[in-house]
Amino acid sequence: MNATQNGWPWKLLLVVILLGTAAGTWGAVSKIDYKWRWYRVPQYFLYHAEDAQKIPFDGTVSVIKKSGKSTTVVLLSETQEQVEVTVDSDELKVSEGESLFEGDTVGFTRQWRLGPLMMGLWTTLWLSAIASVFALVLGLVTGLAKISSNFTLRSLAIIYIECIRGTPLLVQIFIAYFFLGTVFNLSRNVCGVGALALFAGAYVAEIVRAGIQAIPKGQMEAARSLGMTVSQTMIEIILPQAFKKILPPLSGQFISLVKDSSLVSVIAITDLTKSGREIITSTFAPFEIWMVVAAMYLLVTSLLSQIVYYMERRLAVSD
Amino acid sequence: MIKAKDVVKVFHSHGMTIRAVDGVSTEVEKGEVVVVIGPSGSGKSTFLRCINGLDMFDEGHVIIDGVDLADKKTNINKVRAEVGMVFQQFNLFPHKTVLENLTLAQRKVRKRDKKTADEKSRMLLAKVGIPEKADQYPSRLSGGQQQRVAIARALAMDPKVMLFDEPTSALDPEMVGEVLDVMKQLAREGMTMIVVTHEMGFAREVADRVIFMDEGKVVEVGTPEHFFTNPQEERAKLFLKQVL
Repeated sequence: MNATQNGWPWKLLLVVILLGTAAGTWGAVSKIDYKWRWYRVPQYFLYHAEDAQKIPFDGTVSVIKKSGKSTTVVLLSETQEQVEVTVDSDELKVSEGESLFEGDTVGFTRQWRLGPLMMGLWTTLWLSAIASVFALVLGLVTGLAKISSNFTLRSLAIIYIECIRGTPLLVQIFIAYFFLGTVFNLSRNVCGVGALALFAGAYVAEIVRAGIQAIPKGQMEAARSLGMTVSQTMIEIILPQAFKKILPPLSGQFISLVKDSSLVSVIAITDLTKSGREIITSTFAPFEIWMVVAAMYLLVTSLLSQIVYYMERRLAVSD
Repeated sequence: MIKAKDVVKVFHSHGMTIRAVDGVSTEVEKGEVVVVIGPSGSGKSTFLRCINGLDMFDEGHVIIDGVDLADKKTNINKVRAEVGMVFQQFNLFPHKTVLENLTLAQRKVRKRDKKTADEKSRMLLAKVGIPEKADQYPSRLSGGQQQRVAIARALAMDPKVMLFDEPTSALDPEMVGEVLDVMKQLAREGMTMIVVTHEMGFAREVADRVIFMDEGKVVEVGTPEHFFTNPQEERAKLFLKQVL
């Protein structure tokens, strides 16, 4: 008998289960008479924006220069002031010699712009990235403090870790925004990033501590016996080895951070989740949008997992 | 060269107090090879670790080249740079190549430039008989080769004295010889050595003096001939009967 069961009957069973789930969902949804509007989704990724170009004063159109797709219009005011406006050739709304009033439309320019879903994704990404960097630094310092022989450092680390791990992130975000944000006059972005970094930092600290303690004592002793100081040993010997060991749990923590960052939408930071909610108010397509939002989070976290997997293989050369 | 005076090291565990090293005094001259033997748990490894401060002793003095480790003003890192140590479990740095294992402390502690450190390292690797392994990672080496790298790593610091803590105990029997050969060569070259070992053959052949320890105390001291042929103390006789 095979130790692992991955023959074709099991693959078939997997397909059947997945199809069954899909069909069941489909059946349930069709019963409630939901009208799917998938065609509305793409515009929230990328859309063709149309900007009106207007005349800033009362005046006349003096020259129109066409060059391919864009057209330059020279406008002349009553006080002989000249202004050039560029519009798309097929959206030109004036002719030479025409007199215009201030605010009249000369023509339109069109260009592709990123929609709210992409802007939200961008916010989620930079928010998580900055929070991760701070969390890593904070976690490293706290993790080292927790195994320090100094009582004060150790106690501070324990208090911080226990307070953060014992309270919900959502409440921490509220405290960061409504309490700390008000007292210290911080912007919502600072509060959001700060809360996320503080939250992840506590978990990173425990991971770092475990990683350092997993390195055999002999490594520290060997380095110290060669005359290296504690900090030299930490930097050259212990942390590089510990880092390799903690890479999987650490990356899991950062992937969690990307997902947890969706909670900052409650303090009106327009991240991916908040963008999704805003779009739903104008499209009335909650099913589609939430599925798309979930898929985007999944895409980001899968990509991160792949990067970490690649790094693990690179670091494994000395094994 | 090295002077230990009434060294006491106490461990506390589960409410019990264990005097692992209990008033050990000895002197080691320059160029002398001292072998410390004794049953396991006799405190010989702990005593060795007190000599370079890996275990800080509770009472007494260890004076290396005139510097007292018990003195609070002593920079322990400076002393350790002069005292090489070889461990039972090799303790090579697994994330660094063999060459990097040898050059790291030379560059960080001795502040040698890369070229000097590399040359010194390659010379030492040739001396311990594995010049071709310089760019390998330790995990690719056999136990005997790893221990020889560890010896070379300690030698790279140009130590005044070398401490060996059961250097062959973790080795497969067929690799013991190659490590002992390197140690014998060192002894012939006049290196001051303190060796904790269970290799009685090595003690008999190389030692200038044998120290027998039991229950944290020095029980008997003597030349190898004296100790192996005509021990005075009962415990020493019993021990020899068991191991020889």
